[in-house]
Amino acid sequence: MIEKIADNITSPLGMDTAANYEAVLKGYSCLKLHKCKWDIPEPFMASLFEDGAINDNFAAMGGDVSLYSRFEQLCILSIAEALNQAPQVDISSDRTALVLSTTKGNVEALDIGYCGSGNEYLGESAQKIADYFGFTTTPLVVSNACISGLCAQIVAMRSLENGRYDTMIVVGADVQSRFIVTGFQSFKALSQEQCKPFDINRQGLNLGEAAATVIYRRTDNENHDCWQAVRGAIRNDANHISGPSRTGEGSYRAMRAVLKGIELKEIGLVNVHGTSTPYNDEMEAIALGRIGLNHAPINTLKGYYGHTMGAAGVLETVLSMRALDDGIVLATRGHEQCGTSVPVNVSAQHRNTNAKSFVKLLSGFGGCNAAMLFKKGGET
Amino acid sequence: MNWVRIRKDSIKINGTTLPTNHCGMEMLKEVYKQLIGGYPKFFKMDALCRLGFIASELLLQQESPRITDTERRAVILFNRSSSLCDDRSYQTTIQDTEKFFPSPAVFVYTLPNIVTGEISIRNKYYGETLFCVLDKFNANEIFQVVKESFLDSMTNDVITGWVDCESDDDFEASMILVGPNDPDFNPDFINEIYKHN
Amino acid sequence: MDNLQDILKQQIIDALNLEEIEIGDIDNDAPLFGEGLGLDSIDALELIVLLERNYGIKIKDPALGKEIFKSVNVLYDYVSKNRTK
Repeated sequence: MIEKIADNITSPLGMDTAANYEAVLKGYSCLKLHKCKWDIPEPFMASLFEDGAINDNFAAMGGDVSLYSRFEQLCILSIAEALNQAPQVDISSDRTALVLSTTKGNVEALDIGYCGSGNEYLGESAQKIADYFGFTTTPLVVSNACISGLCAQIVAMRSLENGRYDTMIVVGADVQSRFIVTGFQSFKALSQEQCKPFDINRQGLNLGEAAATVIYRRTDNENHDCWQAVRGAIRNDANHISGPSRTGEGSYRAMRAVLKGIELKEIGLVNVHGTSTPYNDEMEAIALGRIGLNHAPINTLKGYYGHTMGAAGVLETVLSMRALDDGIVLATRGHEQCGTSVPVNVSAQHRNTNAKSFVKLLSGFGGCNAAMLFKKGGET
Repeated sequence: MNWVRIRKDSIKINGTTLPTNHCGMEMLKEVYKQLIGGYPKFFKMDALCRLGFIASELLLQQESPRITDTERRAVILFNRSSSLCDDRSYQTTIQDTEKFFPSPAVFVYTLPNIVTGEISIRNKYYGETLFCVLDKFNANEIFQVVKESFLDSMTNDVITGWVDCESDDDFEASMILVGPNDPDFNPDFINEIYKHN
Repeated sequence: MDNLQDILKQQIIDALNLEEIEIGDIDNDAPLFGEGLGLDSIDALELIVLLERNYGIKIKDPALGKEIFKSVNVLYDYVSKNRTK
């Protein structure tokens, strides 16, 4: 069994999982309209750290801010806080490894005006982060567009199941930049208003920055207090490099793989991708309908954080676990009236639940889709 | 086990040199026109995707009959420079605030996993697609990640390898199609193909 | 090249990397999307950038693009009437 022993969320809403959960329970979000930021002509709605916030926190932790980029500092902050909860983890062991999930890392370093200390090679960033903590094994970067955060957890799970490692630290992170924001603008994918997941008036997504960490270990003894990563699958639409499949092909197939042999009524929550673009949410509703989970409670956290890219898969997994611990299916902030051709069970209010198992979904450019099934030990 | 090795000035298939008249991107276009063709999307791809696409086509031309329309084949690729070649191209479309015309057709390729998607679309592979980045080529890490990918019981075989593209004229790829029980599937073999001259 | 239709065709070929297509292959009244040239949603977005860069035409709503990019002749009419450079 693969069980979670520690986690962290570092976001504009807070520097640990508890602070993030409290903020989300109260319906808070740091999504706001940014005008003229990074010399981008068109205003954009995003959830960003305050200027200097990452730097200040990193310095307060005793880190040398001149040696690490903003992105690397964010990753280190998140990993360090998670490790604080898990003193038993032997970082320098050859049985412990790091997986970094990111889409764009230090891409802002490509700008001629960049004056930070990062370079654009993701593998070098991962090595710097690994060296900070004293890992002795090779860090792996998973860069699989918006599904990276689930892919990284799936890769980590497999290494544990295979017995290659005993403990895996998975960190997902992305920071925003002129590069990423203008790219999404050119795709006409951004909404200048706060996003409206699965809503009839949804117009596009918001971007966000965050890091999240989850630490897994392999165990033979089922611990009823621990969340388990049960199964994960990655599938492709084989259809188009940017447009989601009209039949939800890859998402449906990924869900079918992780739900094999599972009674659908046991699934208490599907935490979907829910970017709030017209095509993504429609595709996910179709996939949920095909698998028969359109009546199960679903939610998405994009209305609180925006789309945090490489962090999303880890952040949304950790927060879903935290909420279910409390017996809550978190509200889908920004949703008002269901607007997908297959109606789904989504709510703008927090809902109570006894469920201790959920499915996490993501989809991304390149036609990729991922699903993971999690449960709390001893149940389902 | 079939394999393909592409360097900026040479192509080898299972150890045999494929005769070409050009280098760099022109060589990839030459191979497309001579041996593939009929897929105009090739010209829309960025350099990394063209490289991965050509390598996969040459590899799959060795397969008889060629398998398509399947969920049982995964595409798992690795490199060092992610999508940097295209990232740099996109940066030029936004660098200047006077000539600011961000290009969606360039931006869409600023993710390394798009090449795995292009191969899946071409062949109708609904299976796993995964892209991993390493600080440097590491045959053992590639071997382990691919070996562990067979823990997904749907996956029968994997198109895998190293597909790295620094620029239009500076790239390298080594690609294999492996099943879990292929006797040659080990780190030494992955290393040997990568280093093959 | 002296007429705007041909200029537009060449700009489309260049912007969308239609390497194996020539001006003579594109009929003025044939649909640009769907079968014909095999263009897709990314191409439509790229054509919007082309109009802004070369003709100073800003299109906020991608749905409008669908109307304008029906054929070279429809595009020609729109560009003639709306160009600012």
